[in-house]
Amino acid sequence: MTPRLRLDIEKRYDSFELHMELEVGTEIMVLFGPSGAGKTTTLQAVSGLLSPDAGEIEFDGDVFFRRSRPGDRVDLPARRRGVGYVFQGYALFPHLTALENVAFPLRGHTSRGKPEAEELLESMRIQHLAHRYPREMSGGQQQRVALARALAARPGILLLDEPFSAVDRPMRERLQRDLRRLQAELGLVVLCVTHNLEDAFGVGHRLAVVQDGRVQQVGRVGEVLRRPRDLRSAEVVGVSNVFHALVVEASADGLVLDWDGLRLEAPPQHTEVGERVPVYIRPEDVKVLYPDRRIGESLRANRVEAVVVDLHHSGTVQSLRVELPNGHEVDVRFPGYTYLPLNLSVGGTVELCLRREAVGLLHGPEGVEARSS
Amino acid sequence: MIGEALLMSLKVTAVATVAIVVVGLALGLVMARTRFFGKSVVETLIMIPLVLPPTVVGYYLLLLLGSGGPFVEWLSLEVVFTWHAAAFASFVVGLPLMVQASKAAIAGVDPTLENAARTLGSSEPGVFFRVTLPLARRGVLAGSVLGGARALGEFGATLMVAGNIPGRTQTMPLLIYDAVQRRDYVTANLLVLVMTGLAFFSLWAVRRLGDS
Repeated sequence: MTPRLRLDIEKRYDSFELHMELEVGTEIMVLFGPSGAGKTTTLQAVSGLLSPDAGEIEFDGDVFFRRSRPGDRVDLPARRRGVGYVFQGYALFPHLTALENVAFPLRGHTSRGKPEAEELLESMRIQHLAHRYPREMSGGQQQRVALARALAARPGILLLDEPFSAVDRPMRERLQRDLRRLQAELGLVVLCVTHNLEDAFGVGHRLAVVQDGRVQQVGRVGEVLRRPRDLRSAEVVGVSNVFHALVVEASADGLVLDWDGLRLEAPPQHTEVGERVPVYIRPEDVKVLYPDRRIGESLRANRVEAVVVDLHHSGTVQSLRVELPNGHEVDVRFPGYTYLPLNLSVGGTVELCLRREAVGLLHGPEGVEARSS
Repeated sequence: MIGEALLMSLKVTAVATVAIVVVGLALGLVMARTRFFGKSVVETLIMIPLVLPPTVVGYYLLLLLGSGGPFVEWLSLEVVFTWHAAAFASFVVGLPLMVQASKAAIAGVDPTLENAARTLGSSEPGVFFRVTLPLARRGVLAGSVLGGARALGEFGATLMVAGNIPGRTQTMPLLIYDAVQRRDYVTANLLVLVMTGLAFFSLWAVRRLGDS
């Protein structure tokens, strides 16, 4: 992917320092991380609503912002950047109808303003809302109007700040599909801020894990979630099952780890025998084994019997916390409709498999001694 | 005489109200959206005509507009004892009401909406006239009505800087004073009724603006 938007900016606050480096191509890049990590600040810097202390923002060869040495300063005002911005809460103008909101950026060219706005509403299938005011619309409807308005001036970059937070689930999935379609059709560079993992999966091509004002890791969404580069990324993406183990064997076929007495097999990864390494496994990759069912080839290794410590059912997901024979606890997550006949209860035992292919080492500068668990 | 005073009041009030709206809106915007050193002092100075005795305001205005003051010395503008001075006095006492109301109204507009307009290509004047002002319009209108009504009723400071010259500077409040002095209660009653009606109407309008 050829990068079109490049940013490398610094901004200092009293208790917080932002240093974001990012390259984005014609794609949807999700900025993922906890609140206060600097995601919204980054969007504001790209849009021109906030001036960084130093650095550079460049899009398709145009310098939006540059401040490196004294005397060399470019800071294009927001209105000249051609950046579409869908704000958190949408920021629709309450005194204007949907149509007037969408026509707002088109007013310089009155002759084509209204028809174009109508066309946009139609393409987003919300023409029936044209004459409603924002307070007369649902969250999902407002979101569509906000998106249409942001696209009306034909921006090259689209910024979205928590676009799905006020929308219920079925609507959310539709909006995510629409967004991907629009991005592809219009060849947009999209930056989408979210702290919701499902949204990141639903909409993003790539994911940047943001924490403490920095990009911890960038990669394809699935890859970052399956292979957090280091402990910090793992924490951010919500990998709770991080532990430390000793490398007992290492060969081209794979690794054998000793986790405080529990023998674990893992796929081949870069490490050395005798090293103590941080290891993780996603809760989805700890499989509950169904007693009556044949066990597949991929689930032959790393089988343990565990005691259920906690049980939680939410929507379609069943979550367990179990204690392994080595005394450590791990989280387990699986679709709620399966395994119902297992009759799980706190204190009962359950047969588990820590899927071999999913046992991963955490790499990175801080990975090794950052935390013991 | 009544007709003259009525026309004079209308002229003075119209000029003062236009000035109050323009200057008051600008000051309200500055007070609502900026921070600067000494802001609270400036705000207090703008508000002070509300609480000072009108004669004190009039005295300051005499210093400002009279001989030896900057208007005469630097601008060669002799306005004392003309209707211009009456309009100026009305402006000064009506301004605080407009500043206060428009500041509150503008501060109540979500800055995110203004930022949204910026990303949609609006210049700063565009942001103000297409987003901020329409959303603050109730408070701004209320401030204009209150400021205008206060300008219409101005008496003390006007008497000090413009005098009470029938046909030249005599407005309705001044004529009422004159009429009572002359025990011309017919004129006084009539004008008092007119003034009360106008005051009632403006306060009622302000309430309506606040309600709906």
